[in-house]
Amino acid sequence: MTTLQEHGSALEPSRSDGEPPSAKRRPRKSAHTYLVGGVLVLVCWAMVSPVLWTAMAVTKPTDVAFLNPPVFTYEPTMTAFVDLWQTTLFADYLVNTLVVAVLSTIAALVIGLPAAYALSRFPSWVSAVLLVLALVFRALPRFAVVLPMYDLSRALGVYDTTFAVAAALVAINQPFSIWLLRNFFAEIPKELDEAAMLDGCSRLATLRRVMIPLMGPGILTAGIFVFLFAFQEYLTANILTDVSARTVPVFIATQLGQTLPMLQQAGAAAMLLTLPVVAFAFIAQRYLVAGLNSGSVKG
Amino acid sequence: MPQPRTTVVRALATTISAALLLTACGAGSRTSSSTAAQVDCDFPAPSKATSVNVLAYNSSAIDPFTNTMVKSCSKNQVTVKHEPIDFAGQVQKTTATLAGDTGTYDVVETYGFIIPKYAGEQKLRPLDEYVAEFDQEYGLSDINKAMRQAMSYDGKLYGLPMQAQMYVMAYRKDVFESLGLKPPTTFAELRDVAGKIQQAGQIKYPVALPLLASSDIATAYDSALGSLGVDYVDATTMTPNFDKPEAAKAFDELRSLAPFMDPQVTTFDQPRVQQQMYNGSAAVAIMFSGRMNDLTQASNSKFSQQFGFAPPPSVAGGDVLYNTLSVDGWSIPTNAAADPKMLFEMIASSVSADASKASVPAAYPARDGIVTPGSSPYAEAAQVSIGKAPPAEPHPWTSRISNDTRTVVADVVLGNTPVAEGTAQMQQIAAKILAEYKK
Amino acid sequence: MRRREFLGLIAPSVLVMGGLLVLPLYRTVEWSLQRVNYGEAGTFVGLDNYSAALSDPRLGRAVLFTVGLTAVVVATLIVGGYLLAVMVNGLGRSKPFVLGFLLISYVVPNIVGATMFSWLFDANFGGVVNHLVSTLTGHEVLWFIDPWPNRLVIALDTIWFMLPFSMLVIIAGLQGVPAEVIEASRIDGASTFRTHWSVIIPSIRGVLGFVAIISIMDVLRTFDQLVPLSPQATQIGNESIMLYIYNVAFQDGGQQLGLGSAINVLLILLIVILLYPFIRGIAKEARQA
Repeated sequence: MTTLQEHGSALEPSRSDGEPPSAKRRPRKSAHTYLVGGVLVLVCWAMVSPVLWTAMAVTKPTDVAFLNPPVFTYEPTMTAFVDLWQTTLFADYLVNTLVVAVLSTIAALVIGLPAAYALSRFPSWVSAVLLVLALVFRALPRFAVVLPMYDLSRALGVYDTTFAVAAALVAINQPFSIWLLRNFFAEIPKELDEAAMLDGCSRLATLRRVMIPLMGPGILTAGIFVFLFAFQEYLTANILTDVSARTVPVFIATQLGQTLPMLQQAGAAAMLLTLPVVAFAFIAQRYLVAGLNSGSVKG
Repeated sequence: MPQPRTTVVRALATTISAALLLTACGAGSRTSSSTAAQVDCDFPAPSKATSVNVLAYNSSAIDPFTNTMVKSCSKNQVTVKHEPIDFAGQVQKTTATLAGDTGTYDVVETYGFIIPKYAGEQKLRPLDEYVAEFDQEYGLSDINKAMRQAMSYDGKLYGLPMQAQMYVMAYRKDVFESLGLKPPTTFAELRDVAGKIQQAGQIKYPVALPLLASSDIATAYDSALGSLGVDYVDATTMTPNFDKPEAAKAFDELRSLAPFMDPQVTTFDQPRVQQQMYNGSAAVAIMFSGRMNDLTQASNSKFSQQFGFAPPPSVAGGDVLYNTLSVDGWSIPTNAAADPKMLFEMIASSVSADASKASVPAAYPARDGIVTPGSSPYAEAAQVSIGKAPPAEPHPWTSRISNDTRTVVADVVLGNTPVAEGTAQMQQIAAKILAEYKK
Repeated sequence: MRRREFLGLIAPSVLVMGGLLVLPLYRTVEWSLQRVNYGEAGTFVGLDNYSAALSDPRLGRAVLFTVGLTAVVVATLIVGGYLLAVMVNGLGRSKPFVLGFLLISYVVPNIVGATMFSWLFDANFGGVVNHLVSTLTGHEVLWFIDPWPNRLVIALDTIWFMLPFSMLVIIAGLQGVPAEVIEASRIDGASTFRTHWSVIIPSIRGVLGFVAIISIMDVLRTFDQLVPLSPQATQIGNESIMLYIYNVAFQDGGQQLGLGSAINVLLILLIVILLYPFIRGIAKEARQA
């Protein structure tokens, strides 16, 4: 508990939001600041180490890649990456993954925004039931919906298409989207819609012209989450695809039982999937905190 | 508010991503590996553009045949597609594609063990009429008779054999020589040899077997039982043999190797056993011949020149070895969309004489006279091994019994269940399955 | 808002969820009452699948494992997430930088992350953690077949990829605590610990509840990470409910779709029971909003 006690005051500067540390904070920059810094460096290091270790394994020459005990010094090589691109259809898997993620994000927002808006403005037992259902749906075991979806998509002839995966993910992530978005809408005063409607806006126009612009950070937050969920999805994509719509997580999972050198290529694929999302994480973190902060998670 | 440090990190992340993406130059340009042969694949062009999906797991023994098919048969408006997948993935996708009226895959890699089950359920197409028609063109009569038999059910051929896989024992010549050891021919000798290596102190767990509890362990038990001269089931009386003393002995013998194997050996599939050998963690490994060529590649391990190969030992002496003979081949699902005749020409060309020659040394092709003792470092061992395998049990219940008793086998090998209790459970499970076929 | 408008606005969402969630769910319930294989019509067998599921000791073990994992992981996520959030929130210019690093494990797909994680512990793949532990302690830990070390690895991996989310949400919550409240408490002479315990934590109770509910849902569904992390899950009692369903209904051509569906239905019941307190709260809030 010492850490907690020692820097409870650290809460304070956060509200200055990026303001350079003022002179009066200087003297406090003593033992506990370094302690916190040290702890955070350790935590960051621990959190990143699986990725770093894999990055090392895939840039080692194949014969020492998985040597036990491990080697720490080696001449880095990019062979695994080059082989991955040249001998597999990795480029196609990457495109599929992106198509699924983008499609399902757009659709989730287009469908989810009006519903969330309505739920935040129409208190009734219907809203209550819908929200509770959304909660239960959010918690559903994937297999309970994905196995029937497999049958369904076969029957409809959309099995093994990016469309089917995206549609499934829109539905699966819909509860989370409307839940998050509803809380954002709830933060916007109702008087605002009333004023707009008095000015002659229809409900839909109010939503489009007044609410959505106000919701900028909220929509961005929801969008980032839904995009990430779709980008990472393994189970749904694994069951709904075979060859034409295979995504990168599915590809990597089907390579785990391979031997060298393909196993090393699977590691390379994991790195190629990870790096762009890491860059994305660095860009997105600001919006995520800002978005969540504007009241979405009251619970 | 600009945050200079994040900008730096962002720039760095973008640069690294870009650099890695640059490795993509020439993406997809080497879809066929160097082992692929260019052979004749002379099907008449279909009326419209067609794509043919091939389901086959990747291993250095299967790849040459798959790659040859992809390389030689993608023409005349036809695209042959193969996506890399591991063995577990193939097992699962096979079940999925064969269920229902339509399937994704047009050509499926199969093996003798599963042919009776799928053929019995009419999920695979009989190939005999096509064999007769294309015999001349692709020289099909040179494919080994016994292997054709292994891919047949009820007198009909359901899979065109490409290769045989049998257990081979790989061992470290340098370790054996320095300790004056000879490759073991029985489990007792194996224990003895392993004990000596262990005592020498260099290698803590000298023996590595693929005993993955969710898969390979069933094959291992079947091999041990077979080496003791007993089948799963007495096919004439339709009674399971797990109540025979050999059923318990097979467990005892497998368990007797435990002190010489990595404690986590029940998490090892074949690639992990290979990794044990690459890393020098084990000195003796027994697995399918199709995995042996990888060991001899200098790019995979610094010990590549040190591996010797021998037939696997027998469990208790005698002619039948701790062994499984598995014939791999190509099957055409009944629900495949493409013209079966065209598909047959594709699989026939991928096992043609030229294609089979190109698959050596990675594979042991199904054609007579292609493998000679000099074909590869392990060819001689493979040739001895192939003649000393327990007989196959070509019945539809075999794979079901193997599947359904696997968890019990794992529990007994791991010591969670006493041997007697385990064999009793297996006897019960097998009897229940057999009852379905007695009617 | 008029009823007609309300219905019009929620229609697309309800249609999507109805068609792609409720319909499949109905199918699952239907299958749970049948003996059925993929691509074949089933035969009605009544409650046979349920009695088979409930009499299988594996289900009990799976429930115990899953609920235990959930309890440990969720508690760690809330405590750890809070501590980390307080530390990160106090940072100045380095905050975005640290946040970016901490989010990495959250954005990596579970199955990929778990594979990377497993390589740290697997001697076959030169695992560095395994190497360090055995060098330092001189003792070989069997990470993959010894039940407790394996549970530790599974829990660590789950915490590894879920902690960033918990931290992120709590940071957002902390930023919403009015400065005056904290200031007032400090003027009253409360210790730092007291300020946290009796001022800040109560005021972000809702946020902590949100973290709890999302984490409970996600850990109850644990599946992806077990594939690489626990190859022998069934034998050592580390099979989650979802993995059990998968093994029964899908793996190795196991064809017991009916049984798998029955376990799915039972799992849904379990989830609803565990989430009941949250459900009541939400129902109340939605009616008042």
